[in-house]
Amino acid sequence: MEVSWLYLVPLLPLVGAAVNGILGRWLPKAWVYAVALLVVALSFCIGVFGWFQVARLEGETAQVRQLVYTWLATGSLRVDLGLTLDRLSGTMVLVVTGVGFLIHLYSVGYMDEDPAYWRYFSYLNLFVSMMLLLVLSDNLVAMFVGWEGVGLCSYLLIGFWYDDESKAYAGRKAFVVNRIGDFGFLIGIFVLYFYTGQVSFHTLRVAPLSLGVASAAAALLFVGATGKSAQLPLYVWLPDAMAGPTPVSALIHAATMVTAGVYMVARLSFLYVQAPGVMALVAVVGVLTALMAALIGTAQMDIKRVLAYSTVSQLGYMFVGVGVGAFAAGTAHLITHAFFKACLFLGSGAVIHGLHGEQDMARMGGLRRGGLQHTAITFFIATVAITGILPISGFFSKDEILAQALNTRAFDFLTLLPDPGSPRLTFLGPTIYVVGTLTALITSFYMWRCYLLTFEGEYRGPADVHPHEAPWVMTLPLWVLAALSVVGALIVLPAHDLSFTWERFTEGLFARPRGGPAAERIPELVAFGIALVVAWMGLASAWSLYAPGRGLAGDERLGRAIPRLRTALANNLYVDQLYDRMVTRPLWALARGLWRVVDATLIDGLLVNGTAQLVAAIGSVARRFQNGDVQRYAAVTAVGVLILVYVFLVRG
Amino acid sequence: MVGPLHYLFLAAALFALGGIGVVLRRNALIVLMSIELMLNAVNLTFLTFSRFPLAKSAPTQAGFLAGHTAAFFVIAVAAAEAAVGLAIVIAIFRSRTSVNVDEFDTLKF
Repeated sequence: MEVSWLYLVPLLPLVGAAVNGILGRWLPKAWVYAVALLVVALSFCIGVFGWFQVARLEGETAQVRQLVYTWLATGSLRVDLGLTLDRLSGTMVLVVTGVGFLIHLYSVGYMDEDPAYWRYFSYLNLFVSMMLLLVLSDNLVAMFVGWEGVGLCSYLLIGFWYDDESKAYAGRKAFVVNRIGDFGFLIGIFVLYFYTGQVSFHTLRVAPLSLGVASAAAALLFVGATGKSAQLPLYVWLPDAMAGPTPVSALIHAATMVTAGVYMVARLSFLYVQAPGVMALVAVVGVLTALMAALIGTAQMDIKRVLAYSTVSQLGYMFVGVGVGAFAAGTAHLITHAFFKACLFLGSGAVIHGLHGEQDMARMGGLRRGGLQHTAITFFIATVAITGILPISGFFSKDEILAQALNTRAFDFLTLLPDPGSPRLTFLGPTIYVVGTLTALITSFYMWRCYLLTFEGEYRGPADVHPHEAPWVMTLPLWVLAALSVVGALIVLPAHDLSFTWERFTEGLFARPRGGPAAERIPELVAFGIALVVAWMGLASAWSLYAPGRGLAGDERLGRAIPRLRTALANNLYVDQLYDRMVTRPLWALARGLWRVVDATLIDGLLVNGTAQLVAAIGSVARRFQNGDVQRYAAVTAVGVLILVYVFLVRG
Repeated sequence: MVGPLHYLFLAAALFALGGIGVVLRRNALIVLMSIELMLNAVNLTFLTFSRFPLAKSAPTQAGFLAGHTAAFFVIAVAAAEAAVGLAIVIAIFRSRTSVNVDEFDTLKF
């Protein structure tokens, strides 16, 4: 259905960004807040309106579209700025603008004392606009614009306090690492365009693709996803991205932008099912990232870094979901994760706000009774949701992914090597299930450790810092997000007779993986039981080490028990150092060599200055002929004329 | 019998003498006089071709007159040139107290 109002969804926040960015410096503070919140709220209202329109339509045609204008048309390439709101992108719009609005509201409290609040809200609005363009665009090129736009906003907001050099550096790191991924994304678009001549989703969906082309394009686009969504090997920027203001971490680096890769894979499900090998790669990368990030998360002392690694880990789960062909499960986890992780991040922000900038959990503790009741309770609810000790949203969405990984038959026909006689990858799904379940145990452990160290026991901070609860503009979003973390379960309930589940809702939207429907290897209830037991085991192990009153004794005990592993984990498994040694320094050396030899010697020395020196040398000889003696000139001219006369008249 | 070639060789000789004078003499006044010599050598050529036309096809009265007209033009221009040239020489002499052209070499890079 063609509509004419869809462009307002991304445009309104863009207008807000422009108003606040250009005029914000002179506007009264309340106006800046009003503009920033109003545009996002309006976008949300339009999104709700569109969402209900789409929900009423049937099946695969359930979408409203708008061709805003033809962006460029050269030769066979035609790129429209076209927007499509279907059941997936519509829900994403609601998440982006809904959670986005809550975080804008929260930021009013959080950034109130910052002198550059207008710049902050301008960036935040710009981010919302770009994210909406990313999810709504109906072709890869416009999506790439949004993809780069959110990357830019991420960079601007990580380095928001740019006069702190380490924070500016963290922003640069995020940008550079994302560039590597975006390069893959771009090449992926080129590959698809080169072989099909199409860039829009609905024409690519029916375009015939060979296995090689589909695999290459899918793999390259996934490189982009590993950058944007912080997967191995490009996840390193996300923990450092915590240098930005905490609401930014919640909105960009937990709830929305980092899920863009998952969204992209789900949006291109038709492409990925044509490349089953790449899907296996996606799932393996996802589960390895989930495990590794969860492990690192157990040893972090900075509350935001715990949550950052948790985000990386949960994003890994989502990629497991889309990788095993359970696109609905992966995107469902995306949505529930947006709720509870935003709640966790905003909770950590309230803690940091209440402790005047303290982020180290070693100097927290006892905050539930120490004045931060609202924060503590909402943080508790979100922790329950992510760890899955009670069956609320996170439990179901994560378990659905793991169950689908166990039961998938998407890899049954793949072989380990190109040789058809080599072993088949039927073991891959169950292996992912086992590793994923182990990761769920670790997740439960580190999240409860984080909760217990922060909110329970005795206060360990300096005596002159008095924890205080945040204002209502900050606690209200916390409560809304906590409530959403609970009722988010509604969309992912496994009951098959419910008319409204996410899987039913998105039916027909996602392509079906090859290999046939999932086989039920273990009964659903048993899987739920295992998940519950695992989650409670994590809680029990965290409780045994960090029970209220023990303070940091648990960390010391762990440090004594597994000293080397724990040191390695506390240092992020030395991945940054490894990259420094393997990538950064060789690149530096190469760049230095290029600078010294090619640029300074060859180009500057030989070509640029060499040309000038050559001209100067010729000039110093030629200068002798021009001595100012007019008679000499006349003599030379006369001789020249004589020669010409001889050549043309006498000899010619 | 005096033919066109005699006139032309005389003109060429006068032109060459004038050119040599322009190039070699140091006194600016002599240089100016040499230029007059060259101009008049050219005049002589004009008149020669006016008197002995090259084309066999009947020269028109206008063709005859063209050579004379050109010669008169040259005389007029030469008079003007002499006036301007002498003025320049006087101006130079006032500032440099010399009319030796070898000393005037500021016309360079």
